[in-house]
Amino acid sequence: MSNHEGTCLHFLYAFLDTHRMLEKLEEVKRNIQSEINSITALKDAEQLKIKYLGRKGIIHDFMKLIPSLPAEQRAAIGQRINSLKTEVTNIVEELLKKFSVEAISKAKHEIFDITLPGKRPLVGKKHLITQTIDDIKEVFARLGFDVVYGPEVESEYYNFEALNIPADHPSRTDFDTFYIKNDILLRSQTSTVQIRVMEKQKPPIRIIAPGRVYRPDTVDARHSFMFHQVEGLLVDEGVSFADLRGVLNQFIKTYFGQDVQMRFRPSFFPFTEPSAEVDISCSLCKGKGCSVCSYSGWVEILGAGMVDPNVFKAVHYDAEKYTGFAFGMGVERITMLKYGINDIRLFYENDIRFLSQF
Amino acid sequence: MTNAGLVVADIQPVEDDFCIDVEVTSNRPDCLGVIGIAREVAAVVGASVQFPETNYISADPRSESRTGIEVSKLISVAVDEPILCPHYTARVVRHITVKPSPEWMQKRLKCIGLRPVNNIVDITNYVMMETGQPLHAFDLDKLSDQKIIVRSAKSGEEIVTINGARRALFHDMLVIADGKRPVAIAGIMGGRETEVSESTRNILLECAQFEPRQVRRTSKATGIASDSSYRFERGVDPEGVELASKRAVKLIKDFAEGEVAHGVIDIRSGKYEKKRITLRIERLNKVLGLEIKRTIASDILKRLQFNILNEVETGLKPVSTFIDVEVPSYRGDVYREIDLIEEIARIYGYNNIPTKTSISVRGSVKSKYEIVEDSVRQFLIGMGFYEVKTYSIVDTSPLQSLNLWPDPNKGSIDIKNPLRQEESRLRTHLLPSLLNAKTHNMHYGINQVKIFEIAKVYLAGENLPQERTCISAVADIDFYDLKGIVEAMLSYLGITRECEWQVCGGEVSKLFQQEKSAKIYFDDGKFLGLLGKAMDLECKISPCMMELNMDLLAEKSDLTRKFQAPSQYPPVFRDLAIIVNEAYTWSEILRWIKSANVNYLKEINFFDVYRGKQIPSGKKSIAFNLCFQAPDRTLRNDEVDVAQQAILDTLHKIIGAELRKQ
Repeated sequence: MSNHEGTCLHFLYAFLDTHRMLEKLEEVKRNIQSEINSITALKDAEQLKIKYLGRKGIIHDFMKLIPSLPAEQRAAIGQRINSLKTEVTNIVEELLKKFSVEAISKAKHEIFDITLPGKRPLVGKKHLITQTIDDIKEVFARLGFDVVYGPEVESEYYNFEALNIPADHPSRTDFDTFYIKNDILLRSQTSTVQIRVMEKQKPPIRIIAPGRVYRPDTVDARHSFMFHQVEGLLVDEGVSFADLRGVLNQFIKTYFGQDVQMRFRPSFFPFTEPSAEVDISCSLCKGKGCSVCSYSGWVEILGAGMVDPNVFKAVHYDAEKYTGFAFGMGVERITMLKYGINDIRLFYENDIRFLSQF
Repeated sequence: MTNAGLVVADIQPVEDDFCIDVEVTSNRPDCLGVIGIAREVAAVVGASVQFPETNYISADPRSESRTGIEVSKLISVAVDEPILCPHYTARVVRHITVKPSPEWMQKRLKCIGLRPVNNIVDITNYVMMETGQPLHAFDLDKLSDQKIIVRSAKSGEEIVTINGARRALFHDMLVIADGKRPVAIAGIMGGRETEVSESTRNILLECAQFEPRQVRRTSKATGIASDSSYRFERGVDPEGVELASKRAVKLIKDFAEGEVAHGVIDIRSGKYEKKRITLRIERLNKVLGLEIKRTIASDILKRLQFNILNEVETGLKPVSTFIDVEVPSYRGDVYREIDLIEEIARIYGYNNIPTKTSISVRGSVKSKYEIVEDSVRQFLIGMGFYEVKTYSIVDTSPLQSLNLWPDPNKGSIDIKNPLRQEESRLRTHLLPSLLNAKTHNMHYGINQVKIFEIAKVYLAGENLPQERTCISAVADIDFYDLKGIVEAMLSYLGITRECEWQVCGGEVSKLFQQEKSAKIYFDDGKFLGLLGKAMDLECKISPCMMELNMDLLAEKSDLTRKFQAPSQYPPVFRDLAIIVNEAYTWSEILRWIKSANVNYLKEINFFDVYRGKQIPSGKKSIAFNLCFQAPDRTLRNDEVDVAQQAILDTLHKIIGAELRKQ
């Protein structure tokens, strides 16, 4: 606390022009700021209050000088002094509060710091593939589809023959299927479950079959020798291709979003006729074209079609009476699309830094 | 085109033209040539196809000129295997000049990835790409005995094909032979010795059909795949030989000069009959969910070159209800009504078919297994575990070869055609894969992990293996923590039956530390799984882990709940500490407490084991809490005292337990 009296005298002699007075006000402002930093206790704060706001304080001194100013400048200067007063009052009050509370509680006990971080329990996550399968199951459950499972080690009959894939079809070679024995293999598609269900049950049928499938593909960012598929099958009287479009449209809108468009393209699968590949509008570029959709605006997400009469024949269904549709989708593929994941291997590395993101 | 089923994969500008890359599905070999694509485009846009020029002038055999000669005078053809080669044609062009093919042809071949060779070879390739029908040209003068025989190969025969590969031939392979030796593997590749070279003057142009399965088998056996075998395997147009042969001769005449011998040798077994199919309009609309008229359907079929047979009233049924069609020869994929329905849908536009959901309302049912699996997953996640997914196909290391699960057949299930040794066997337990996942995370500095997986293991069975769903977990927590989690999980699943925890032994001790591991059995003797501390593997600290039979868990779980009113009367608690021999396990002590059979004993809760000062060596102090409660009244202290004493007496009498004095 500097020499108060001296400052007053200084004012009386020197402050007869407004310019100097404004400069002096600025100086006072700066001084206060530096003084605040050196305050460590309640009594310092109280002294600061007296020095600036007291009856003989600095601000009062300024007020007293107003009448001696030229009339036209009094209002402006007065306003400046008032705003300084308000500012100092706020600062001083804050300081008084801070040191008084602290002073009291410090005397009694340690302070409970509610801002320290909470103790977080470890929370696990479902694997992202499980989450996607669960999402798919939920959409189709609402449409009345039950979940069924089938074996992964299968006979050629269920993986090929019953699905209208003849013995000389290219997909039956060693290049496309893992074999265990001559006629025993690792299923290359979940379509096998279609046959197993229809053999046991008469129509109506409404099922989805999620599970692991295997193909001898060398592992890279886009290929994996093991991945997941979800197969769907609906068989009843009077089921049409239009219904297939309707059901898949429901799925796409629910899973990918209401603004996503669907496109059917003719394709070929031995176990469906007519067959289609189904695209959705690329959600990344909104159909404008980008590297994800190979600049076409569309990305393929699943294969579908009306159950081929030969498949019905294999399970002794009357193909005249019943019609049905089937579809199959790659779980990794649609997950990668939805979340923008660029490497399929991430799903099987099980890096916690990956798993914890979803 | 993409919307009609021919996916346009790429369009590349080539000088003043474009190269369009089209993906053709395996059922459409007719589109493996430019003409086929043109037919599709014509059907989609409603135009007609302009076919290439095939007219040529052959030398007149009646003339005295030495060139005017019948083909049959120059070569003889015999087909010994008419089933495997239903159609064989040969034409001869003589006095040709072998030179580079015209620039426009070379340019077109190059842009579809074919290397120009000379005018003759280029023309056969060019026509194949135009028509989809493969052709082959032999150097006529190099064919022995002026003979072509289509026959099975004889053991010991071999051939060097034009790509320079020497191949042994077997009797189940079809070859084109001259009088002495095979000169081509039928439908796959020609031989080097009779190929067209700079010095060739006279050629024999083969244009034939070979049975698809035969070509596929031989292609696989010889390891030779060619543009020709690709087409024969999928099936070529049974009526396409003539067009391709004439077109090639026309081009040879134009660009290699020469004189075309008169006529053709044409050996054909049987006559091709066009397929006839009836399409019912009602069926069409039923399958597609449309309401289109006959005229729209018949128009589409006409655009696809299907011949409509019943344009006029037949008198039998109203003509408006059905269409009889004759299928073009090149559409081998269309042979049923449903195939016609697909054709109409394709051209009508899949995306013009309505998107409706008229399927009936049906509630779906969640199976018990589904519910249990979800519950287990949810429970472990709540306990801080991350779910992982690991490969079902593993290596053949000793750790993978352990028999964690009692497997009567003890056979491993190996893959016949693995990609790598690292992925060649179906796993019989999950734990090694989980330990790998843990190790992976440790490499990235994540030392504390809690992970689990629910997946199948594969145990050798009679025919198909037994697939068992297991649940496995690895966590950096101690034995009793993990055991507690399992116990809590069992109770969460409503499994009230007792479990027996037995000391692990045998083979699994390669994976588990024997002393701190247990096999878990239900009281009915069913084996639930294993739990224990891992052997020191690559991990610095050995985690605890478990593997349980998920199918058994689902079977034993009981998720039905029935309300039981909690007792209105206060429980009485008693804490006891007894000193017993080290040898007695808690489960034995528990059994003896229960054997005292005292009234109102509701719970027995272990809380501490103590060894040390005040406890004689070889002994331990076990502390537990007894809870007594009656459903209908407040128990008196003296009643509880009596019960407690009865328990202590029993324990003292049977296992010599002493009450520990405080």
